Amino acid sequence: MIELDKVTLKYGEKEILKQVSLTVRDNTIKAILGPSGVGKSTILKLMLGLIKPNSGRVLIDGADITRMKESELYTIRRKMGMVFQGNALFDSMTISQNLGFFLRENLNLPENEVIRRVTEQIQFAGLEGYENQLPESLSGGMRKRVAIGRAMIFKPHMILFDEPTAGLDPVSSKKILSLISTLRHNNNLGAVIVTHIIEDVFNVADCVAVLYQGEIIFDDVTEKLHNAEHPFIRSILSDKILEL
Amino acid sequence: MPVNAIRSLEKKVALQLKDFFFTMQEFFLFSVRAFASIPKLKRYWRDFLDQATICGTDSIPIVLVSSISIGALLAIEVGNLLEDFGAKTMLGRSTALSIIRELGPMLMGLMLSARFGSRNGAELGAMQISEQIDALRAFGTDPVAKLVMPRLVAALIMFLPLTALSDFAGLQSAAYMAEHYHRIDPGIFWNAVYPRLVAKDFVVGFLKAPVFAVIITLVSSFNGFSARGGTSGVGRSTIKGIVVSSGLVLIANFYVSKIVLENM
Repeated sequence: MIELDKVTLKYGEKEILKQVSLTVRDNTIKAILGPSGVGKSTILKLMLGLIKPNSGRVLIDGADITRMKESELYTIRRKMGMVFQGNALFDSMTISQNLGFFLRENLNLPENEVIRRVTEQIQFAGLEGYENQLPESLSGGMRKRVAIGRAMIFKPHMILFDEPTAGLDPVSSKKILSLISTLRHNNNLGAVIVTHIIEDVFNVADCVAVLYQGEIIFDDVTEKLHNAEHPFIRSILSDKILEL
Repeated sequence: MPVNAIRSLEKKVALQLKDFFFTMQEFFLFSVRAFASIPKLKRYWRDFLDQATICGTDSIPIVLVSSISIGALLAIEVGNLLEDFGAKTMLGRSTALSIIRELGPMLMGLMLSARFGSRNGAELGAMQISEQIDALRAFGTDPVAKLVMPRLVAALIMFLPLTALSDFAGLQSAAYMAEHYHRIDPGIFWNAVYPRLVAKDFVVGFLKAPVFAVIITLVSSFNGFSARGGTSGVGRSTIKGIVVSSGLVLIANFYVSKIVLENM
């Protein structure tokens, strides 16, 4: 379980997050919805301990990570997989090298086990035949699937998605969303999806938190979003995509 | 000047100072982490070998070109000057001291600051803005140990032979110009070089190699890690890395010479 407890974060004089509290339970998909530049991706980085809040606590399975050293955080981070907005694949490595990189780097596994896990992820992401290609030769949707496969490589409990369908064509977006649903149903995984596309929320999320001007203005099951009365939520429900 | 303008200027200067000290603190911690991760060298052996090739073997041509041209030029100019005093036979000694103590290491430092430093800044900067460095951290790999430490160790090891090569090539080109331009017998030239060189001359020159290696690697890598703001941000951080490391190489060159020559 991931908990943000009254988290405040400032960049210089600007307050990005104001006393944000949020809970993501295991085996649920939670979406964080909000306009661009509001601090949604920052929340994912806080959950991974990549950045530290100015005040408040971030708890992963009850452990407060805000005071942990970087070396202690590495163990915690392996409980979660992260799919970055731009995928963050290593561009000089092939797809199978990208998938196997962190296994070779961080776990003392025999090479045949590494190959088995990489093959498993290649099959899951539907990338058979592309193992030896570089990321630049793949389409945006395929790169995203590689990134999801990489996020799954440590068999985490939770995956964090940063704008998983941003910049993808409708077909690729649909594939990615169905992949996320498959992960949840077949692997019993929880997920946090940061997005500005409201349709994605209704397609995959069990619950949703809406971030607006640094504050959570809605946090409940997705179905109840239709009944929310906040003017911002009313406006996004009518526009569907946040282009703010 | 109105009071408000003075206050605003005061605030601006205070903010810039705060930023400067904050950056210095970050740089210090970054450097400590890079040195502290040297025990992990065995794990990153392949990365070290790659970096040793990049900063060592691949840098040989540029080091040779710069040292040969400066060595030749130095021999011509100093030879002309010495001729006025009828001391042309001292050409070997004066060029050898200049090259071994100062020009050899300094040229190598400046060339590697441009070549190795720019590569570090651009490569790490591109990794930073494409979130690859965040990805390393997110999946449990220490990016400083993986990306910076192998560069640092490679530079510490490879800068020494490059300094020797720079000295050797500079001296050879000076000897060639002494013989063919100033018509000095090679025996006279080399006789003024070898018997008069003392340990201090080599200590001054070769002590600079590790100092420059630390400056160039850490400054360029730190700037790469600090890149923000897309591709233009990578450009800015790369330039900043080269400018700062080149400036520090020149300053360090002066102080290492001063300290060693005064104390040996």
